[in-house]
Amino acid sequence: MVRSQSADSSEYEDQTPSREVWANGICMKTSEVEAKLDEGNIQEAESSLREGLSLNFEEARALLGRLEYQRGNVEAALHVFDGIDLQVAIQRLQPSFSEKQPSRKGRSRGDSQHAVSQHSASLVLEAIYLKAKSLQKLGRLNDAAHECKRVLDAVEKIFHQGIPDVQVDNRLQDTVRQAVELLPELWKQAGCYHEAMSAYRRALLSQWNLDDDNCSRIQKAFAVFLMHSGVEAGPPSLAAQVDGSYVPKHNLEEAILLLMILVRKFYLGKIVWDPSVLEHLTFALSLCGQTSVLAKELEEIMPGVFHRVDRWNTLALCYSAAGQNKAALNLLRKSLHKHEQPDDLIALLLAAKICSDDSHLAAEGVGYAQRAITNAQGRNEHLKGVAIRMLGLCSGKQATISPSDFERSHLQSEALKLLDAAISLEKNNPDLLFELGMLYAEQRNLNTALRYAKRFIDATGGSLLKGWRLLALILSAQQRFSEAEVVIDAALDETAKWEQGPLHRLKAKLKTSQSLPIDAIETYRYLLALVQAQRKSFGPLRSVSQAGDDRVNEYEVWHGLADLYSRLSHWKDMERDSNALPVARSILSDALKIEPTNRMAWYYLGIIHRVDGRIADAADCFQAASMLEESDPIENFSSIL
Amino acid sequence: MSEDCSSSEETNTPTTSISQDTFTTETTTITTSAFNIPPETPSSSSSFNTHLAIQSLSSILTTVSPSLLSQDQDPAFYLLHSPDISSQVSSLLRLPDSGAGDNSLCRWFYDTFQSSEPQLQLVVLRFLPIIAGLYLSRVALKKPLAGFEAVLLAIYAHETTSRAGQAMTVNVPDLSHPSIYHESKKPATDNDAADLNLAVISPSLEPHGTVRSTRRARIVGVALELYYSKMSLMPVRSKIDFCEFCKVWSGQDGDEYKDGELQDDKENVEFQDDQGNVGKESVIKEGRIALPWELLQPILRILGHCLLGPNKDKELIGSASAACRSLYSRSLHDINTQAILATRSLLRLSKMALDPKNNVDHTEIPVTDVISL
Repeated sequence: MVRSQSADSSEYEDQTPSREVWANGICMKTSEVEAKLDEGNIQEAESSLREGLSLNFEEARALLGRLEYQRGNVEAALHVFDGIDLQVAIQRLQPSFSEKQPSRKGRSRGDSQHAVSQHSASLVLEAIYLKAKSLQKLGRLNDAAHECKRVLDAVEKIFHQGIPDVQVDNRLQDTVRQAVELLPELWKQAGCYHEAMSAYRRALLSQWNLDDDNCSRIQKAFAVFLMHSGVEAGPPSLAAQVDGSYVPKHNLEEAILLLMILVRKFYLGKIVWDPSVLEHLTFALSLCGQTSVLAKELEEIMPGVFHRVDRWNTLALCYSAAGQNKAALNLLRKSLHKHEQPDDLIALLLAAKICSDDSHLAAEGVGYAQRAITNAQGRNEHLKGVAIRMLGLCSGKQATISPSDFERSHLQSEALKLLDAAISLEKNNPDLLFELGMLYAEQRNLNTALRYAKRFIDATGGSLLKGWRLLALILSAQQRFSEAEVVIDAALDETAKWEQGPLHRLKAKLKTSQSLPIDAIETYRYLLALVQAQRKSFGPLRSVSQAGDDRVNEYEVWHGLADLYSRLSHWKDMERDSNALPVARSILSDALKIEPTNRMAWYYLGIIHRVDGRIADAADCFQAASMLEESDPIENFSSIL
Repeated sequence: MSEDCSSSEETNTPTTSISQDTFTTETTTITTSAFNIPPETPSSSSSFNTHLAIQSLSSILTTVSPSLLSQDQDPAFYLLHSPDISSQVSSLLRLPDSGAGDNSLCRWFYDTFQSSEPQLQLVVLRFLPIIAGLYLSRVALKKPLAGFEAVLLAIYAHETTSRAGQAMTVNVPDLSHPSIYHESKKPATDNDAADLNLAVISPSLEPHGTVRSTRRARIVGVALELYYSKMSLMPVRSKIDFCEFCKVWSGQDGDEYKDGELQDDKENVEFQDDQGNVGKESVIKEGRIALPWELLQPILRILGHCLLGPNKDKELIGSASAACRSLYSRSLHDINTQAILATRSLLRLSKMALDPKNNVDHTEIPVTDVISL
């Protein structure tokens, strides 16, 4: 503020000779008046203006004050303005206006008188406004706010029913608009945040006849203040609430509403584009997890505002954050096309990540990750480890559907190599420990997997459920059931009741594996009760904390129980019904293509071969099953993800 | 945790009514909401509590000037804003074993927060950035933390009670319905609410008597939510402490994004040419933590306040921008899309705020050489 002020005043000094004042059709050079002001003779300067331009006292003072203000002499301006009595001026103006306002038809009668009064009013109000500005520049913010408020109070007194579109002197309207915009700013600078809140609401909810730019600036400033002041605004006054219209109840709601209105004003062509509005809206909507709403807003913004690739990429981020990875990937495919921006690192990484979740997209993801590695240069060099990690994850995923054994093992060892390389670049990223643990576990390299699972739990302080579950599954695969149970019990201690479902499910299966059917049934019963209680008490408002993996669905529990009972009856029924055999065989063969390490599938396939009389095939299957049994977890490793 | 607490040496808060068990019992019994009481009405009991707090603090700090007890101004205000006290408390907090259950400073924080004196609770919250910062970074180091946990649980319990366990939600507006700020052709309907997008800002709260490791981020996150709601009352130094911990937590220095987050490939290449020796191996930083959304969201709201709030303190904005760069860099490492969107916007906004083009004062009158009446 101070800097601009001094710059301004030096600017004026150069131009001093050309400054002049106009009033009542007379023009007067100001050099003489300014000289008197410089000597400190306000009275003399005032009287020379009054004589030269035939002005009354207030008019002369207002002119003088403005002159001083423009010259950058704010303190002197303040002295001049102090002589003006606003109260008297308002009382003089009030009746003429309040009579006029209700009817527009009666214009002819008192038009000239009307114009004169408006003119004086605008002069006095401008003087008070400049007084507020002078005080602001002197750092007397509270005083400034009070003066500025007086301008608005006066305007409200004069125009009982708001300022009409017509009939108002331009200069008066300008002063009103500026004062409306200045008041909340002053309260804010003065640290009076509650006053600032009400000043903003008063600015936006009363009739000031603001223009679009003016109103939009206030709306934006208010939205930013609501979002970031750290002060709760409380609901707007009842007077402002129209029947049936949406009333925001929370700072964030009100801020989002205002920002959305601004975006709409832009695409209706009412205001020029302000990129900060969209960034504020992006921040607000991401905070409340409503990125799909953000995507809708972005889609409505007409082309030409951003580059289409930026738009696709931002939309992809929104969709992916909203869990719509398919839509996100389709947008990224467009933006990464060779004619667009095929080297955009963030887009490449996101595309690779989305692909790494789906074995059928993993091959495509390998391509993105390789391009990401090439492009992790310059200031993005620090993302190289991330790119390598994505390549490792995509390769590992690709291995799971690979039709040939040779290719599968090649991809798997490639994936391990890549994750090892990534961890040397991302030493402090525990996610990599987990991913390595998973990969080793899926390849049944259980000792190494166990080491990584333990390191992951240490690095995350046991804060992630998936770490505990991985450790328990690896132990169960090593047939160390009692140790697995200890891990589960430790995990249960670290978990709140509603998130214990998957742990109880594991525990029940552990009991089953240990041939403790009574304990298993007891655990399933508890789990069933938990699931049912959860369904009753979960409203929509209880968001699930750890990526949804803490919910067990009822079906899974029944399935577990069924599995338990079927183990008890040793599949005697199935052996009898030979009609089902061909169907079962083809289902099991398909299953084994997808998951060649499924022990139970090999075992059942063996039973089918035996019933059909193919004893050699049956023996092969049983051998595969028994080899796998020695390294089988109690439930699939991928159930953690 | 209980072991650490039972060995707590209790010498400096003689009149406290809170038994040692409070550290380990269910927290539902702890205090009722106190922040709603206007702070401007110091009753005799409140000044009594304040003096007690000051007295016990002075026995913990090594060099408290005797003037502390004879403050003319509001003593609680002094406690909150005195740079001398803050720096002493901060350095005590940062000692390697400060989080233990028998730590007298942690005990002081706990008792002071439990006093239910809004002004005193502010003093505790003032140090929350350091407490939470050290706590989360030390978890993986297996240091004793029961003292920190007791303070955090007390704050969490306070929030649980004052929110009555309810979730905080936001109705994301839909402009096709009229609002107080705009008109719409579509008539307002009665079931407006059903059409709106309900967003959960903070899920419902359950009482926790101990810090279960899977709930740790949530408990700290809720404490930060309370901090956020009192931020306009916090001294700048406390906010700067917070920003500095954000950098530690992120594990990224974020310097790559000092000039914003431009993604132009040409610039990347130029950058590399200028630097010559890019790819400096960054030092492994102690203190990087997992940043689940329940923790990251309140962190980002606090950073938003530091960067874009009404109090424009240069040093604060500097450290908040640095924190923001680190968290942006971290969200890229995690490929966490929601976090990328939020931190990128903050980064862009902080850059725009520095641009003089965006700082035109529209309340200034037009300068004319001809002044007419």
